[in-house]
Amino acid sequence: MERLDSRVRFIWLLRSLVGSLVAGVVVTFAVGAVDRVAVTPVVAGGAVFVVLLAVGALHVFLRYRAWRFEVRDDTLYIERGVLVNVRTVVPYVRVQHVDARRGPIERLLGLGSVVVFTAGSRGADVSIPGLVAQRADDVQETLRRLAIESEPESGDAGDAV
Amino acid sequence: MKLHPLSVPVRIVSRGVGLAWAFIIGGIAFAGGDPVLTSGVVVAAVLVFLVVTAYEVAYYRRFDYELTDESLDIYSGVFSRREREIPLRRVQNVDVTRSFVARLLGIAEVDVETAGGGGTEANLRFVGRADADHLQEAIRERRATLDRDESVGVAEEPEAEREAVVGGETLFELSDRDLLLYGALSFDPRLASGILAFAPLAAPFVGDRVQLSGPGLALVVALAVVGILALWVASAAARIIQFYGFRLRRVGDDLRYERGLLQRRDGTIPLSKLQTVAVEENVLMRRYGFASLAVETAGYGPGSTPSGGSEAAVPLAPREAVFSLARTLEDFHDFDLDRPPERARKRYVRRYLLVGLAVLAGGFAVDRFLTSVPWYVVAPLLVLAWPAARRAHGNRGFDLGPDHAVAQVGFWKRRTRVVPYHRIQTLIRRQTVFQRRWNLTSVVFDTAGSRSISAGDAVAIDRDDDVADELVDTSQDSVFDAIYRSE
Repeated sequence: MERLDSRVRFIWLLRSLVGSLVAGVVVTFAVGAVDRVAVTPVVAGGAVFVVLLAVGALHVFLRYRAWRFEVRDDTLYIERGVLVNVRTVVPYVRVQHVDARRGPIERLLGLGSVVVFTAGSRGADVSIPGLVAQRADDVQETLRRLAIESEPESGDAGDAV
Repeated sequence: MKLHPLSVPVRIVSRGVGLAWAFIIGGIAFAGGDPVLTSGVVVAAVLVFLVVTAYEVAYYRRFDYELTDESLDIYSGVFSRREREIPLRRVQNVDVTRSFVARLLGIAEVDVETAGGGGTEANLRFVGRADADHLQEAIRERRATLDRDESVGVAEEPEAEREAVVGGETLFELSDRDLLLYGALSFDPRLASGILAFAPLAAPFVGDRVQLSGPGLALVVALAVVGILALWVASAAARIIQFYGFRLRRVGDDLRYERGLLQRRDGTIPLSKLQTVAVEENVLMRRYGFASLAVETAGYGPGSTPSGGSEAAVPLAPREAVFSLARTLEDFHDFDLDRPPERARKRYVRRYLLVGLAVLAGGFAVDRFLTSVPWYVVAPLLVLAWPAARRAHGNRGFDLGPDHAVAQVGFWKRRTRVVPYHRIQTLIRRQTVFQRRWNLTSVVFDTAGSRSISAGDAVAIDRDDDVADELVDTSQDSVFDAIYRSE
């Protein structure tokens, strides 16, 4: 089974940092606006920030440890989730299209994500974040090829919906 | 083809009057009695109305649709033009809706849905009634021809067969008696339980004004009963108006349904696009041996589902009749559901107990810090955790057949969903941290159907970890079998 590139933790951590920062600032102002609270606004905001960041960091750590995927013969297998462990099996036959995406931070770190779309209502888009750029292109290309190859020759059973 | 000329006034009224009215109300409030400002507002409202009128006239003049052998082409747009071509083979549903006003004027609204994107792909507001019926029928016919060409390679259409197809075969008709029954039985018990949940909280406030002994108590109880009855009657009336004159027909390879007292709805669902079939029974229906049938296609987007949440469904029929009808649509096996392991039931007992204790703790906190409530009266209800757990356990299960997976869930409303293997899109195993303690896993059979957002997925809840793994492996093989079998 394949793991994500370890640098993806940096992206997730950055996201949780931004989230905690926003929450901290909001709490600071909220406490500032209400007079009846005994703590100073900066302490309250700082505490919220630190706690959220700690929880976020723990989550990132566990999330990275839980993430794995495998490009199998007929299916794409993905396992992820900290609180809810989710294992998804996507038959290539069901793949509608495959995207390779690279956000600005991902680009800085030389990473990329692959997003697989099916017609399903729930697992409609399955994304694999944090792959080395080269590997992301590889995976996209492989999935694309496999999706086309797996198309049944006749009948409309292969029709997506 | 153009829209019906009457669509112009109807559209103006439905859009323009509302807008102008809002303008007047808001403007007068803003003017605050000043005569100059008030008359200015009225002038502005008239101007708005005129603009809307001009827009709708232009919309009508610049709207054009055409049904070719292979597609429905629509040219629309006043300022930015849009040409849309919908391949008939991709069409999922064709709905004709006639509101009360539209029926008086002899016009109808036509909606065409495909599986793609959000929202309705083609919305014709409004066309003449005959045109709407013709459009619906023509789309069905041409799509059938296209499908036949595809599978056989020869376009032969015996005249006799075609004649037989036109009227269709009535599969189900809701009699007036069943309609009334449906209204009465389809009452959502959650409404009542919501009221009951609030009752202990409301009691002290009422209690301040009414002596809570003798006549006062009787008054409270009477009020509650009347409230529940009123809710029931209202929900029954809504259902009856919605499903008045329900009829389900099979026309060629399509299902066709019509219903509604004030607003008539007439929809088609191609059987070749059917995703899942679901038999649903709420508490009352189960008590009296009735059930309803819902079918699911990929056409409707979430939120745009026709009212009631069920598409071409049988609203109410005896249980056996529903199952035999379901089997004519999707030929599934005689299933024997496998229930979750016994430890799952223990888990439910604990869960319900915890919920009950949380409610008690909440009541205690309210009593202690806010106002005095008789929080302890709920305590005896904790005993209910055991029967509730048994019920939840007894209503969950799955079975894998030769061509279909069957999954059942539901506490108040039991849903038995039949998923053909060749419709499964992805297989998902889910395990929450709470389930992990008990080594239980849920398996979701995801399809392209659109109801899973409102009605939940087809899911085998709380299976043994090993059973879940096996379940996924087996159904994965069955999916491939079903897809490649035709080769």
